Amino acid sequence: MNLQGMDIDVAVIGAGPAGMAAAIKAREKGAENVLIIERDTRLGGLLHQCIHNGFGLLYFGENLTGPEYSHRFTEKLLDTGARALLETMVLRISGEKEITAVNRRDGLFTIKPKSIVLAMGCRERSRGNINLHGTRPAGVLTAGTAQRLVNIEGFLPGKKIVILGTGDIGMIMARRLTLEGAEVKAAVEILPYAGGLIRNEVQCLHDFKIPVFLQHTVTKIYGEKRVRAVDIAALDANNNPIPETKRTIECDTLLLSVGLIPENELSTAAGIKLDPVTGGAVVNEARQTNVEGIFAGGNVLHVHDLVDNVSWESEIAGEYAARFAGGKKPPAGQITLKAGRNIRYVLPQIISGKNNVDLYLRVREPQKKVIIKMGGIQVGKTIPGVKPSSMIKLDLSAEDQQKFKRNEIVIDCLTKGD
Amino acid sequence: MAAYETEVLIIGGGIAGTTIARELSKYKTDAMLVEKEMDFGQGITKSSSTIVNQGCNVVTFRPEYHNSRLVWAGMPLMEPLCKELQVPYKKIGSLTLFKNRAGMRRPNKLLSRFDEWSKKYLPHAKPLQLIDNDTLHNWEPNISKDFIGAVYDPNIAITDPVRLTIALAENAGQNGIGIMPDTKVLGIATGTEKFVVQTNKGTIKSRYIINAAGEYVVKIAREINADDFVLYPVKSYMAVLDKKVGNLLAHMVTSEEHGTVNPSVHGNLFFGISPGSQRLGKIHDHATDKIIADAALEHARKLVPAISKKDIINSWVGFIMYRNFEMGWHECSVGVSRWVPRFINASIGFPGICAAPAAAQEVIDLLAQEGLQLAQNPDFNPNRKAAPIFHELSDDEKRQLIASDRRYGQIICRCETVTEGEIVEAIKNGARSLDGVKFRCRPGMGRCQGGFCGPKVTRILARELGISPEEVTKKGDGSHYALYKSKELLEAE
Repeated sequence: MNLQGMDIDVAVIGAGPAGMAAAIKAREKGAENVLIIERDTRLGGLLHQCIHNGFGLLYFGENLTGPEYSHRFTEKLLDTGARALLETMVLRISGEKEITAVNRRDGLFTIKPKSIVLAMGCRERSRGNINLHGTRPAGVLTAGTAQRLVNIEGFLPGKKIVILGTGDIGMIMARRLTLEGAEVKAAVEILPYAGGLIRNEVQCLHDFKIPVFLQHTVTKIYGEKRVRAVDIAALDANNNPIPETKRTIECDTLLLSVGLIPENELSTAAGIKLDPVTGGAVVNEARQTNVEGIFAGGNVLHVHDLVDNVSWESEIAGEYAARFAGGKKPPAGQITLKAGRNIRYVLPQIISGKNNVDLYLRVREPQKKVIIKMGGIQVGKTIPGVKPSSMIKLDLSAEDQQKFKRNEIVIDCLTKGD
Repeated sequence: MAAYETEVLIIGGGIAGTTIARELSKYKTDAMLVEKEMDFGQGITKSSSTIVNQGCNVVTFRPEYHNSRLVWAGMPLMEPLCKELQVPYKKIGSLTLFKNRAGMRRPNKLLSRFDEWSKKYLPHAKPLQLIDNDTLHNWEPNISKDFIGAVYDPNIAITDPVRLTIALAENAGQNGIGIMPDTKVLGIATGTEKFVVQTNKGTIKSRYIINAAGEYVVKIAREINADDFVLYPVKSYMAVLDKKVGNLLAHMVTSEEHGTVNPSVHGNLFFGISPGSQRLGKIHDHATDKIIADAALEHARKLVPAISKKDIINSWVGFIMYRNFEMGWHECSVGVSRWVPRFINASIGFPGICAAPAAAQEVIDLLAQEGLQLAQNPDFNPNRKAAPIFHELSDDEKRQLIASDRRYGQIICRCETVTEGEIVEAIKNGARSLDGVKFRCRPGMGRCQGGFCGPKVTRILARELGISPEEVTKKGDGSHYALYKSKELLEAE
């Protein structure tokens, strides 16, 4: 196909779970020409390396592996007649919605779609981001890179492993590497509780008897050429290592599972405003950013813990992007939502006050028996327990929104009875 | 094991050794350079702040120091050298900040000292200027408002020291010097008329030895009792920030007590504690620690408060090798060993990047003085063509490059926009490891530090070198990227 100057209604950047869901929905909602741009050799994004199960419990009511979950969307996407450009990297997006991309076949080209959905996902925080001290040998890598090595490339990073951080990928890799015959000598977590989903904590760490060190961190890496050992130490109330608790663990690999960052370098260059807490764009209920006609969904917006929510959220972006391409603008934002007590963030940040909206929330600290209040009014039922790693999804009806008296609403997470 | 014979053997492929090799290639000599690592500039050179600095704003620089004279003599040589070798060189100027009127006494002293010395030692240097509060904060809006003025030195530049080192090695090789990476000196003995040097690649007999082993210069000299000097390693710390905050500063910025912050030629910011902090290190201990890292960050934030811990993408330590440290001097050690004739030590001091070109010329003089016949090499070609850098090209140039080789259309490193074509070219030019590729064309230098491109570059290296991916290393033997094949550990049980 001749890409330069091609007539495109909706362009979707990234063909992971977010991009695929958005592209499918855009086609279903009437966008004629939908183009999905993917840098990898196939559709599906990181789902291919997530060979464990637990995907689709909510979306399909079935327990699928990552590749299976991906396959369902891939099939559907191809059925809709959306076009896919693989092994293609977007170099920049302008505020005028002009996309410049490059690949081997077509070279460098520019397209100007009517609307865009950003679905670039997120990346892992690296060693430098967390100021990990010691030498700089081979064998320090992020859990996701290790997952790619083991599950896609067919290699094991090493056989004596320490994992810093108990994000979901870290815990899943603890199990994966154990099953591959490696010894996971420690899972080290700065917080007093594991970082990821409870089911991963139980099934990946406890079931495999992996030593877990909570409120600990890695204080030093040894080895000139390859990791030889690490020091770990307990943390005091101010998160400073307590020297007397230092112990040295011999290992050849240090995996990092210390958080994910939405990948928004393209967005910022397009003039899109980011939320400093989520690291993703500030959006309204249509998942439209401050740049008209540019929408976003999935982990590029905020880091999810379940792919099912990624798909749902991106369908919203896909739907409104299709409507925008057809000349219909999304409902104007009226009400700004602000994080209040024990709320880290809320998404979308802006709502119209006119439609039923699903809100995604994250708390700062674990808390039991909570109710959520918006502008002082309780929304939804009592929740038995919340923790930062589990996203809260809240149905907010148009009716509820009519009760709001201001155009800035604070959301609080309160213990029931307080 | 192979046996080699040569006239001059250079030990060490850092900025010192490669500059000497390249200088020597201007003459018709039989010479070799050995480097123990897989690539060049992987020791002290790569830990540099990348600043091309004549040091006049530092009180430790004085005409009576050999080190200072080398740096001053080398300074005007840097730009033409970078141009010949197509290595980035950018004049950015430096600002030495001061806080109050009392703090102005020093700048005035610096200005008059510079005027006096530059006439003699830096005739081509532009004069220093005193910058007032308004101009300072107009030029650099992100500098702390605590500072009310600065001494501006327009002569200061930045470069890419590792690329320069690699370019020097390449150019020296093209002009006839035998360049041998991955070659470690195991022992040196005196033979009849020639030194006999044992390496992991065989024996090398050479009439002259130039010891440019950087951090290992004493160890090498000691092999043959030529260590007629004492060196003190001063540990320095550097950190690099994400490109998204690369525009916080346009100049190199420093103050008497707060280290430096400077832009890099690739659009990042570097900050670090300068050697002025006089921190002695345990030699060869390359570990960063919390104390030095926290101190460096605190100092950097005093200069540029917007610098944030969360934007750090990597950090490292390096060593500056000083003589007579205990006397507060900052001196290098370049000269023929007093105890072993035809053995030249070349520990070039700080900043080594700009001391190197002048030190190399001195080493040539020392070789002549020791009896080496030096005739001009009529075939010497000073120019080296750099490989294309995709992301620096215009859209039209990018299209042309992809049309000429489709591999330039395949982006491998997302953070730094590095194409497969550039990586293949780097391997063709001598990269043998992940770090070799990284320092030549930058995949893995960006914000994700190789998380995304690591497996891909590993595959390309394996394919181009005809080895299996688990044989690929980060930086030579013992630094393998992945240690086993999937299922290998299960089969072993």
